[in-house]
Amino acid sequence: MERTLSTSLAPDRGGNLKRRHFLALTTGLLAAPAFAVSTARETPLFLSAASDADDRHWVIGFRQSNGLVSQVFKHALPSRAHYIAIHEGLGIYVVLARRPGRYLWVGDIDTGARLAEITVPMDRHLYGHGVFTTAGDRFYTSENAWQFINGDSGRIVAWDVVRDGDSITMTRSLEFPSYGVGPHELLLKQQAGVLVIANGGIRTSPEQPRAKLNIDSMQPSLAYIDAGNGQLLEQHTLDSDWHKASIRHIDLNAAGQVVMGMQYEGEPFERAPLIATHTQGQPLTPLWAPEPQQGQMSQYVGSIRYDASGDYFAATCPRGNLITLWHARSGEMVRSLRSRDGCGICAVENGFLYTAGTGRISHYDPLHDAVTELDSAATGSVFWDNHLSTRRA
Amino acid sequence: MVYNENRSQLELFTMTRFLCLLITGLTSVPLAAQDAGQPSDDFNAVNLAVADHQVIPAYAVFASAATGLAEAAARFCQAPDAVTLATFQAGYHASLDAWESVQHIQFGPITYFNWNFRVHYWPDEKGTGARQLDTLIAGQDPAVLAPESFARESVGVQGFPALERLLFEDDSLAALQSDPFRCQVAQAIARNIDEIATGVHTRWVDEFRATVANADDRGFFESSEDATIDFLKAQVETVRRIQQQKLEEVIGETSSQARVRRAESWRSARSLRNLRLNVQALEELFNGSENQDVALSAVLYPEDVAAISARFAELDDSFNGLPDAFDTALAAEGGHARLLAVAAGLDALFEAFEASLKNTDLYLGFNSLDGD
Repeated sequence: MERTLSTSLAPDRGGNLKRRHFLALTTGLLAAPAFAVSTARETPLFLSAASDADDRHWVIGFRQSNGLVSQVFKHALPSRAHYIAIHEGLGIYVVLARRPGRYLWVGDIDTGARLAEITVPMDRHLYGHGVFTTAGDRFYTSENAWQFINGDSGRIVAWDVVRDGDSITMTRSLEFPSYGVGPHELLLKQQAGVLVIANGGIRTSPEQPRAKLNIDSMQPSLAYIDAGNGQLLEQHTLDSDWHKASIRHIDLNAAGQVVMGMQYEGEPFERAPLIATHTQGQPLTPLWAPEPQQGQMSQYVGSIRYDASGDYFAATCPRGNLITLWHARSGEMVRSLRSRDGCGICAVENGFLYTAGTGRISHYDPLHDAVTELDSAATGSVFWDNHLSTRRA
Repeated sequence: MVYNENRSQLELFTMTRFLCLLITGLTSVPLAAQDAGQPSDDFNAVNLAVADHQVIPAYAVFASAATGLAEAAARFCQAPDAVTLATFQAGYHASLDAWESVQHIQFGPITYFNWNFRVHYWPDEKGTGARQLDTLIAGQDPAVLAPESFARESVGVQGFPALERLLFEDDSLAALQSDPFRCQVAQAIARNIDEIATGVHTRWVDEFRATVANADDRGFFESSEDATIDFLKAQVETVRRIQQQKLEEVIGETSSQARVRRAESWRSARSLRNLRLNVQALEELFNGSENQDVALSAVLYPEDVAAISARFAELDDSFNGLPDAFDTALAAEGGHARLLAVAAGLDALFEAFEASLKNTDLYLGFNSLDGD
């Protein structure tokens, strides 16, 4: 009976429909009442990098409606990517190569079509993150000037961006130090013109692509710099006991609070904070989950995002197969959800949408404490990469 | 591919699906009546079989052996002589045999309270455990040996490697006889291993078996498939880990590169025995024991199961006649080549697992494998 139904609802794709998609479909539909119903035209577009079993790499745009995912576009990428930045006004998205990659792949947000592919200089590589100004005239990337093997090799590059029809020009115009090693995610406090930078602290070199060269001496930091002239405004580090907690991913809420997710490089049995919050002018506030969740987080946060209200944030822990939900002001963990290899996450109107390396796409509605697994047959058997981005409807 | 997004049809579908579930529930139609030649998708049945036939019995053996170890430790410290030491050492071997047979399970209760690291912190590349053990003994403070205090000591002094250091040095007996506190430390470690082993077993029986059995209810696991993947990871990732960490790191590429002191349990002359026990446990996890209806292998295609079983058989053969200790094995004629053959066998087994998983839609990890 199940097989018949799956056939009737999911037409044959050359026999390629895998079991997971049917299971996902039924779960999603049964749980559908908890999920907001919106009409197809208004549903937000989601973007994520993905890879597949044949080691091909993609940027995929999708929407969801009533628990069903529809794929809007899918384009091949030169190599594995990390984060996708979106600028609504320019109508473009920028896919950033995963470190130690060097490309920025620019596409049209409506059609998905490729508009440009830009490469950073040979003596640089990207860290997979970038951020636009609200006006869209400027884009910032975090980079590694890796030949500076002994000093602070982190760089922030400001690009001038111009769109003229289908022509995109991105010109490197300014360059600042990141005031650390291994700058990863960066954000912009738009009104103040302040860049917030997670300096991960780990020295790497494209000559040894995934090796970590300075674990014993690493010094991660959260830096605030003037987006116009690169002047260092504030810089914060964790207690020296936790200097191996690499600050990688950050988010910002409307109240100006920054939340950061970390990846601990110390011994596996040690307990180190994996989350901290920060408000400018104050010290960092490390946060702890209760046990056993703190241990289950497996010393690794892959992605961190506030919800739409900014009152809560979610930190994904793909190594621990866990997503943790926190109250932003009190710093308390309020919920944890199991998610096999769940990593990409972004806020939606009524909670969070999150993706996993298993190919799953799920929605969490905190108000009803309900998880809805979407039918992701349309996006096929792909491994979703670390980050999920969205263009609000 | 086109979905009909018409709401009334969706509702009709939902209702039909609901009715199907009802009917299924009422008539108890087996959900996983398998086509011959197809992998099982009755993950729940597989999970329960593995829990009941492999994991829980293995923890029961570990708990029982560890209780014996704690008793032998107490007897030895009352009357430390060569005979009671031999019993203590035998208790160590029996407990470590049991631990090596379930070490591959790295999810569930063993991860609570840092238990996995407290039982067996290895490899200890910086030799931290040895230094901390020396400091602990020099301190001569009985208060730190009380169970609740000892549990908070460094993981390096709490488990098998520290106990091995106390029991298997050349002058172990004299050192333990001349320093009663040293003996109390050995006793505290044995008691700690017993508490952890008993704790893990009890929690599997009282709590985690039900968690596995109800994986589809999303109490902890995302689904029963999610729980199966944890068992598969225990299977597949352990093959690679023991190949690299317990074997290749020790023997190097040529016999002149061999460094037996990098091996697990080298002091008690049983590094290869550990490895053989690991492989035996993995083979049983895969194929199940006698009178077991379904084993973990059921989630793979039969032809892949046959290929993996053949790799296991070759690996078993490669262990034939090998001694327990690396130095003995390496001293024998052609010894290094024989160990390289074991490494190659583990490699072939890992490759067979990887190939088999590609034919299914079971993914062991992507974002979790390589950080960014």
